[in-house]
Amino acid sequence: MSFIKKFIEQEAINRRNFLFASAMGAGGLAAATMFKAGPARAAIEDPAIAWSYRDRTNPYWNAIVSGGESFVESIGKSKADLINLINEGSSEKSLSDVKALLSKTNGKLALAIDTNDSPNARPVVEAVVEKGAFVSTLWNKTADLHPWDFGDNYVSHMAWSDVGPAEQTATILFKAMGGKGAIVGLGGIASNNPAIERRNGLDNAMKKFPDIQLLDYQAADWDTQKAATIMASYLTRFGDEVKGVFCANDTMAYGVLEALRAEGLAGQIPIVAYDGNAQAVDLIMAGELLATVYTNPYWGGGITAALAYHAAVGTFKPSEEPHEHREFNGPTILITKDDAENFKKQYVDATPSYDWKDFWGPSTGAITY
Amino acid sequence: MSFPDRDVLHRWAPLLVLVALVCFFSLVNPNFMSLRNFARIGISATPPLMVAVGVTFIIIMGSIDLSMEGAVAVCAVVFAAIFIWLGGTLASWAWLALPACIVVGALYGLLNGLVHVKLRIPSFMASLSMGFVGIGLSLLMTGGDRIRVEDKIFRSLLTERYLGFPLMVHVALLVILIAWFIQSRTAIGRNFYAVGGGEELAHASGLDVKRVRVLGFMLAGVFYALGALFAVAQIGIAETATGYNFMFVSITSVVVGGTALWGGNGGVWNTLVGVLIVNVINNGMIVMGLPRYLQDGVLGLLVILAVVLSTDRKSLAFVK
Repeated sequence: MSFIKKFIEQEAINRRNFLFASAMGAGGLAAATMFKAGPARAAIEDPAIAWSYRDRTNPYWNAIVSGGESFVESIGKSKADLINLINEGSSEKSLSDVKALLSKTNGKLALAIDTNDSPNARPVVEAVVEKGAFVSTLWNKTADLHPWDFGDNYVSHMAWSDVGPAEQTATILFKAMGGKGAIVGLGGIASNNPAIERRNGLDNAMKKFPDIQLLDYQAADWDTQKAATIMASYLTRFGDEVKGVFCANDTMAYGVLEALRAEGLAGQIPIVAYDGNAQAVDLIMAGELLATVYTNPYWGGGITAALAYHAAVGTFKPSEEPHEHREFNGPTILITKDDAENFKKQYVDATPSYDWKDFWGPSTGAITY
Repeated sequence: MSFPDRDVLHRWAPLLVLVALVCFFSLVNPNFMSLRNFARIGISATPPLMVAVGVTFIIIMGSIDLSMEGAVAVCAVVFAAIFIWLGGTLASWAWLALPACIVVGALYGLLNGLVHVKLRIPSFMASLSMGFVGIGLSLLMTGGDRIRVEDKIFRSLLTERYLGFPLMVHVALLVILIAWFIQSRTAIGRNFYAVGGGEELAHASGLDVKRVRVLGFMLAGVFYALGALFAVAQIGIAETATGYNFMFVSITSVVVGGTALWGGNGGVWNTLVGVLIVNVINNGMIVMGLPRYLQDGVLGLLVILAVVLSTDRKSLAFVK
């Protein structure tokens, strides 16, 4: 079937050439107007800035939005100038909100978005590109969708690889258990990418510790109350066998901890978590939680909006940037008892001030598939 | 000894279902039948029990209330905010947050009832909308953040045990007794049955049906507030998500317990048994090691089975 492959390759090249040509054309047009009209004009003057995300009841998305607001303030606007589009877990709503906003702003838009699930990224990006607006995506996109296939308008994509850090927290847990014994696990919503990656991290770590046994691993859907109920049932089922708990995020770890507290076991069974929320950091300092991982959503929220905005106003030209500047992994910081206090001082008590023009400084390199 | 007649059998059917479930899960895993596990079931059943008791009164009236998720979220957030603001421990003026929470619940229910009765909106729609209003309101108050309630005295509801059960389980039993008193020994309690049994008849007999309805929703709001307090005591966190998941559990529990959705029968004890059935199923499925992807399906099937066994549907002309 090599002729099909050849045909697709040829089409891809044609498409790229076409896009390249149109980008040149647009650039030429901009250059022409620049010479004609007096003041230099950016690609889009004063675009609307929007963040589209899942929900507001979650500390993670709250931090994302706070970062976005901080960026908006850094360019002399007020917090209220950041438009919030909340999809409530619906990809359809995510797409229709974006289309409505594109119409309203007539394409004068810099959009930062998590498209809720991977397949939704393509229609969102295509709608944005068609209107000549600029978009940067976070977390969700399919592996065949790349910013560089869309010229300048699909600015960037950022995600985090959770496999490695999850393997690290699991290793910390196993070492605290002396390298042997049985653990139970609580996972996120089964179809969510981070839930899958964090479980893979646990599995990787278990391969290196053959004396560790996983008794059961149930999805608690990132929910505190569900996690508490499941942990209580684990205690009935396995009793004293449980020597450690692996949680795929912080909010579930709080539920596990309260189920243990009810039995007078808080702080006696080691727990590891993920996300690095403020409460989790306090719990690590109190010795009730062993480790968590911070992914700096504040920076992620700010820089994603900043990338879309600066590409829109013409501060930099995305198509001139290397691939690792257009698809990159965000930073992760492992927090244990040793560094919890320092971390709290640096990231919780004070919000570090970021240079929202240092787009790629904290990133940890290109995304590999 | 004669075989008990149908009425008696139906009255006790929910309890028999509960006993059968407990026996079944104990056979699969003997650990299930232990005081410590019953205490665990008690802890997870307490907040939904309060909410389910509240909605029981509404369902007895033949109406429905779906505002519990919003109401619990608002009550939990208001409680935690006042509690922290006034000192953050029950040993200070912060105890005022407890009655304040109950008052907020009552006001929320009152508003819910007024929207339903005065604007003549079916209770299904009025309460569902008020639930969304509540979720939005609590989100507005917290900005999406969580409020931590770590006071050791308040948390003793979870951590202190008497006779093997945490304090919150004992308090919940006391509340059940009060609810039973309201249901069977007060005029308003009997009026709920009158409205549910035949609204026109009750109206023709001179009963102010509208007033009874509004009072019913207000009473339900008080129980939602209690549910919110126990939920915060259980997790130590008040947030918008505190209210999540209560709608399905509470309505299911009421129906599984034998209180019919068309009103006029059932009561508080039915609801207690219903909540225990749902929580025993949830706990038992994990104790017997059922994989998660089967749990939702099995729960649905067991609920249908429990309703079939525990409600008397033979006398019904039609089901809507």
